[in-house]
Amino acid sequence: MLLADFGTSYVKLWDTSEDMPHLLATKDATGLTADIATGHNSQRRAKRSVNELTALAKGGGALIADDSYTLLDCGSRDIKFVRFERGRLKDMGWNTECGASMGFTIELLARYYHLDYQTMAVPRQAFAVTCGVLGMSRIFDAVIEGASEAEAVARFVKGIALNAFAFAGSPEKIYLSGGLCDNPLFVGSFPCQVAPLGRFVLLEGLRAMLDDEHQLRMLRPLPIP
Amino acid sequence: MKKNKRAAIVGVPPLAVVRQLEAEGAEVVDLDMPMAGVSLERAADCLPKVYCAILRTVVANAVSMQPGRIFIDVGRGKCDGAVHVATILRHILPEVEVIAVENHDREPFGTPRCVTKMPLADKMQAITKSVTTSAAHPLFATCRATAGFWGVPPRDFSLLEFFPDTTHVFGWARCMENKTPDNSQLEEFFDPEIPTVFFTQSFCAKSALARYLASLHPCALAVDSDVAVGNSGRAKIQAFLELNGVR
Repeated sequence: MLLADFGTSYVKLWDTSEDMPHLLATKDATGLTADIATGHNSQRRAKRSVNELTALAKGGGALIADDSYTLLDCGSRDIKFVRFERGRLKDMGWNTECGASMGFTIELLARYYHLDYQTMAVPRQAFAVTCGVLGMSRIFDAVIEGASEAEAVARFVKGIALNAFAFAGSPEKIYLSGGLCDNPLFVGSFPCQVAPLGRFVLLEGLRAMLDDEHQLRMLRPLPIP
Repeated sequence: MKKNKRAAIVGVPPLAVVRQLEAEGAEVVDLDMPMAGVSLERAADCLPKVYCAILRTVVANAVSMQPGRIFIDVGRGKCDGAVHVATILRHILPEVEVIAVENHDREPFGTPRCVTKMPLADKMQAITKSVTTSAAHPLFATCRATAGFWGVPPRDFSLLEFFPDTTHVFGWARCMENKTPDNSQLEEFFDPEIPTVFFTQSFCAKSALARYLASLHPCALAVDSDVAVGNSGRAKIQAFLELNGVR
């Protein structure tokens, strides 16, 4: 069975007969269909579509041992979070507007300015930015005023991280999902403890749902002949 | 009072007003509800775009249909915004008689639709329709609730599609069916045993109450939406119900 998380920049795939999921650029995945999927376009590209917040929560349940936690997913185009307290869902949010193009812009900036986030230090100050698109002008202003491109982008990235942190309710610890888990500048910019879970959390959620449903079927009594 | 066959209402007017209109044989139209072919742009000249979508709907409908009379509840049973909308309507529609009323009715009319098994959108439609008549509510069997919807009838009913037919209605919508819109005790009531979505229109003062009550409820989600519910709002409601085992 093929599970998929159709993201804006990347498609995450998991053939359940294999141990590990893998990654594909979205532009290289045209025509691909899955059995169960989440993410943008999943309704068009899968036999069964699962709500992204549901997949995120199920993924958190599968990967996080605590029963009280905040799990934040930072994608290319939006951010979303779920918060559990003592095993019960307490809050959730999905920001498609003010979190717009956050991850995508961070990746775009690195390519445009030839920057390597693995080597960039977390700046002391951050730009007050609300989304990737609106924050771009702050970078241009800072560069014009004499800041280096790397410094300006780092302050932008930190501003984005602070915005995501506030959106998730400013918790003491955040479990982070998404490709930005591999960006140490972004992860280090959060003013709280961060536990990166990687970019396959939603796929883990789909897998957990599948396992739950399988167990339910096994428990269902056989029909009486 | 000028006799006119077409009378409009905003909010829940006192039962005496509804009975009076029925006695006159007036056609009663609810301006709070979206009307086919009426664009919210009709309200753009006199109301800010960042404003309650229900009140923008009221003004757009009033400008579009120009009824003979408008009975608008400007009391605690509606909202401060209705006071200002009444003023604006008087100015922009001088041919229309705008009659400010305050509903202080205390006699409970009953809330059978709020607790019966019925698709939530149909239930909400029936509740809003019921404010235009003084007829006794039909009998409906009470169902066991599996989910709760607290709040006002949304402008965009599509957000109701995720709820099961066994959803009970709370908040101001329940006050509407009870014909006691100024009943804070009934409005603040909820069932802590069932997962409940606390809904308000964006920019509505009731959002403070919705958030507060949601914080008291052990299993709640507070959501607001403007003219139409967005993808994130729909996804939150769907995920909330799914993750709480509501089918």
